[in-house]
Amino acid sequence: MSDAILSAHNLVKHFNAGGWGAARKVVRAVDDVSFDVAPGETLGVVGESGCGKSTTARLLTHLLPSDRGEVRFRGRVAGTEVPLKEFRRHVQMVFQDSYASLNPRMTMLDAVAFGPTVHGVDQPEARRRAGALLERVGLDPARFGPRYPHEISGGQRQRVNIARALAFDPDVIVLDEAVSALDKSVEAQVLNLLTELRRERGLTYIFISHDLNVVRHISDRVMVMYLGEVVEIGPTADLYTAPRHPYTEALLAAMPSLDPDRRTMEAPLQGDPPNPIDPPPGCRFHTRCARAFGPCPGTAPVPALVGRRHLASCHLNTVKEAAE
Amino acid sequence: MTQPLVEVSDLTVTFQGTPPVHAVNGVSFTLAQGEVLGILGESGSGKSVTLKTLLRLLPERRTRIGGKVAVEGRDVLALEGRALADHRGGVVSMIFQDPGLALDPVYTIGRQIAETVIRHEGVSRSTAMARALEMLELVRIPSAKRRLSNYPHEMSGGMRQRAMIALALACKPKLLLADEPTTALDATVQIQILLLLRELQREMGMGVIFVTHDIGVAVEVSDKLAVMYAGSFVETGSVAEIIRDARHPYSQGLLAANLVGAEPGALLKAIPGAPPALHAPPVGCAFAPRCELAGPRCGADPLPLWQARGDRWARCVAAAEAAVPSHAEP
Repeated sequence: MSDAILSAHNLVKHFNAGGWGAARKVVRAVDDVSFDVAPGETLGVVGESGCGKSTTARLLTHLLPSDRGEVRFRGRVAGTEVPLKEFRRHVQMVFQDSYASLNPRMTMLDAVAFGPTVHGVDQPEARRRAGALLERVGLDPARFGPRYPHEISGGQRQRVNIARALAFDPDVIVLDEAVSALDKSVEAQVLNLLTELRRERGLTYIFISHDLNVVRHISDRVMVMYLGEVVEIGPTADLYTAPRHPYTEALLAAMPSLDPDRRTMEAPLQGDPPNPIDPPPGCRFHTRCARAFGPCPGTAPVPALVGRRHLASCHLNTVKEAAE
Repeated sequence: MTQPLVEVSDLTVTFQGTPPVHAVNGVSFTLAQGEVLGILGESGSGKSVTLKTLLRLLPERRTRIGGKVAVEGRDVLALEGRALADHRGGVVSMIFQDPGLALDPVYTIGRQIAETVIRHEGVSRSTAMARALEMLELVRIPSAKRRLSNYPHEMSGGMRQRAMIALALACKPKLLLADEPTTALDATVQIQILLLLRELQREMGMGVIFVTHDIGVAVEVSDKLAVMYAGSFVETGSVAEIIRDARHPYSQGLLAANLVGAEPGALLKAIPGAPPALHAPPVGCAFAPRCELAGPRCGADPLPLWQARGDRWARCVAAAEAAVPSHAEP
């Protein structure tokens, strides 16, 4: 799609995991990942640990250089056609660990005002705007502005991180497990804040989480990753009600039911996710898939359109003999 | 009436220090043989501290424990020396959130399980190793024989959690304490471990106290639920009663925050504020500062109780008032 605000094109990121020559081991953290995000949309990204969610987020924001592939912002390649400094004004990120992402020697007001001053806004103006942003995220600037990160709670710190991301008036915010470390009651407050900010400012979110309930609540579209690859991406309602990849099905079935009369009776998958070093050949999921058949161990499936804006990479959708 | 497996009455735990922390404030409950109690609460609500008291795992010199804790009629707080060592692992056993920390990194899994069995049952090493193998098979670790000689770091997270369950159950305890055992695991592995625990609990007829912050997880494994806030139980009942008919505003808020029946994209009914610091024991309702129904009557001490039966109650003024039939109605 050409009107995408942010798009990833065949992103690849491998990490060395020791060894030389033929014995060299490579973690295929992100392997040929492509997707796009429309303006004002929230794209949820789900998957188990080690599936490449966070690496994808870091590639998207150019915190990590990709081995291959490119990120485009409004159709222009980030890093070359859009200089990084400008790119970062448009695309901001919020991390899971609210404490580690703040400078322990900066007050909250300074932390929010710092970015804009680097980008040429003069000091008093930046601080005035920072105060207004703290106010907006629900922290009284007079009370919380002069405090240091260790003096406030996790939920409050995450609000500061959100205010800091907003300081550039960005178009896109990448949220990498931004609410996962918070207690449930605080998580709900921050989710509400994100929903309100999105409405007010027409923000686009890329919302990474392992919590399927939260992703369902906040996302317009959802992308499912497994061992560095996108296995399915589609509109939230379609994907949750009629998943077209067995891994998505299994993830959904593994959600606790919240209904004491209909408890989960059988685990949808056995064993742990395989190591992303040397992932299985063919379809990477075939070793755990109950419906694996002929082509799965040998040929990697390609993404196929299975509905409106709904792609899935599974032979079950494309190979005829699967129907038998 | 038969004797309950666990009887806790008016338990208080205070950590001395400057300032002191009143971690548990008047918790009472009973657990029957073969029953599963889920304790639901956020971080700092005192749920783990309550569990650790049952094993006396808290630092003795800095902790003041009040009230009564009895397991099988034996007073846990009075246990000393060998009796305490027999209690730990023999009668009551515990599994933790992080098996990487709970298992000893320098001994093989087989040896750790065998050590426990030898200590509690006084059998020979070979008998104990046979039991260890049996246990690994019971928790369905693939190629169990080979895994006996593995060190913890050689296993994946899900496998380590299974090994820890095997270790905890090796001496057939009457009561298993589970402290967020699935929180660190991936969703597809979490459900495997929950189903395993549920099955073993039924097979061995153990009592289980399962502490979690995740309502979904609690519903999967528990018979009864207790919602904990600021060191006290605020509501208890069967799982179905709490999920479908929560009476305490905090339980209701937690359910809303867990997106039970939430409409996608809409604003959630979030609880404002944050849990209190417990430097002083709370007077009246600890939740009042965050509660939309709060009024001056919430400062009452003791608080009125809404109670339907013995273990179906909520400690809330508003819930108690709502239950009293109004005079205006016929």
